[in-house]
Amino acid sequence: MTALLSRPAARILIGLIAPALFLSWWQWQASAGGAHAFAFAPLQSIGAAFVQLIEDGSLVTDMVATLSRSLAGLAIGGTLGIALGVAMAIWHPLDRVLGPLLNAIRQVPLIGWLPLLGLWFGTGQGTELIVVSLSAFFPALLNSYEGVAHVERRYLDIGLLYGFTAAQRFRLILLPAAMPLILTGLTQALAFAWIASIATEILLSAGSGLGVTMQLAQTQQRLDIILVAIIATAMLGFTINHLFQRLRRHLLRWQPSAL
Amino acid sequence: MTAAALASPAVDRSRSRSSRSPLAALVAPLVLVALWQLTCLSGLFPPQVLVPPSEVGETLWSLALSGELERHVGESMFRLSLGYVIGAVAGLVFGATIALSRLAEAALSPFFLAIWQVPVIAFVPVLVIFLGIDEPFKIAIVALATFFPVALATFDGIRSVPKAWFDVARVYRTRLPDLIGRILIPATIPAVLTGMRVALTRAWVVLVAAELLAADSGIGQMMEMGRQMFRIDVVLAGVVVSGLIGFALDRGAKAIEHRAIRWKYA
Repeated sequence: MTALLSRPAARILIGLIAPALFLSWWQWQASAGGAHAFAFAPLQSIGAAFVQLIEDGSLVTDMVATLSRSLAGLAIGGTLGIALGVAMAIWHPLDRVLGPLLNAIRQVPLIGWLPLLGLWFGTGQGTELIVVSLSAFFPALLNSYEGVAHVERRYLDIGLLYGFTAAQRFRLILLPAAMPLILTGLTQALAFAWIASIATEILLSAGSGLGVTMQLAQTQQRLDIILVAIIATAMLGFTINHLFQRLRRHLLRWQPSAL
Repeated sequence: MTAAALASPAVDRSRSRSSRSPLAALVAPLVLVALWQLTCLSGLFPPQVLVPPSEVGETLWSLALSGELERHVGESMFRLSLGYVIGAVAGLVFGATIALSRLAEAALSPFFLAIWQVPVIAFVPVLVIFLGIDEPFKIAIVALATFFPVALATFDGIRSVPKAWFDVARVYRTRLPDLIGRILIPATIPAVLTGMRVALTRAWVVLVAAELLAADSGIGQMMEMGRQMFRIDVVLAGVVVSGLIGFALDRGAKAIEHRAIRWKYA
């Protein structure tokens, strides 16, 4: 058994058993005509839906829409989060004033802000972008705060020794030392923004996007379309997170131990 | 209660506890509420946009008196606890299975990891099609949100037990119940508890989202109805309650976690 499991090819084959069993169970449910047979889309119709969504270009449009929403939210929320996190770590009065407010805001599940934001800004794409930006904001803020607040004492001592100005200390010591955590924050922020994009698209159905398509397909009982959108979500999410991790490793290649 | 206190609770809380009195911790929220009240009194925002905390308090009070708040909170908590228990037990069993058996790992983990790539919220449309929009759907989505973090934490926890410990146990001819009760469980419990805490937070977020989308009761539904009827006081009351619940859940789970792993630092 162990000998078998140590061979990569065998492992892949064993790994395929569960999905294969699941798919055949699925196909059987779709054709057997049970209570939920209407809901189980047979595999060929999922394939057909995929071909159709590719041909009319809506899948690509949705992927681009969701991705740009996430990246826009990452850019807005991430920038504000890093700026505020660094500022709060350097200048303590700001931390005293804003800390409690931000803490209070953080306790409410992000999605819980949707009704309030809906009242204030309507239930359109603007609100979607606000929620996505908020979801990226907090991980960026917390990590950059941590990164700057916990820079090693001796690094700062060296700056003192060399007579660095405040600006030099910031640019040459604080920022590089905090960079690993700031990038960790951005990686988390991207993952959060991606999930928030899908969630707000499902909840508000504004504009276009994978979540909007899923929600629309749900009201039309089109499980085949939902599944194609879910698979696209999974693959796109995996890809951007993976690319971001690689970018992070590349940016931190100067570090002795890659985090 | 600064950002640092949240990010690394273990270190900072002990420090702040010794230096600050519990009264000092109340100052910041009180100032916050006072500022909110003043902003409203200044007439900067029309009452359709922002109502003062006093009015939110009144709304909360009347919701509580009429029993409506109790019903919403009760419904949400029922869904959360039932779904959470189902998801956590399933996650524990699944995580332990793929951690202990190489064959199970090879057979199940690729499928598991593939599904894990999908944000739980994206399963909402699928579950609605299969289960409708009633209780089973909400309990299922909570269970799903709980399952993945718990399963992963259990797997990691068991796999990170040093192999030498098992070797020692073998030398001493430890019987299986002792092996499980005295090595495996104590060694994995910190990781598992952390996973369960993360799962609780996520389950709560997903539940609120599911209630916003489709429910006839629950905190999320209370807020959504408030929005549709332009009752900003009800929406804000819901925001406050869901924040308090989220805070209480997180703090409660952290307290349990600290208590359970005390021996580690003793």
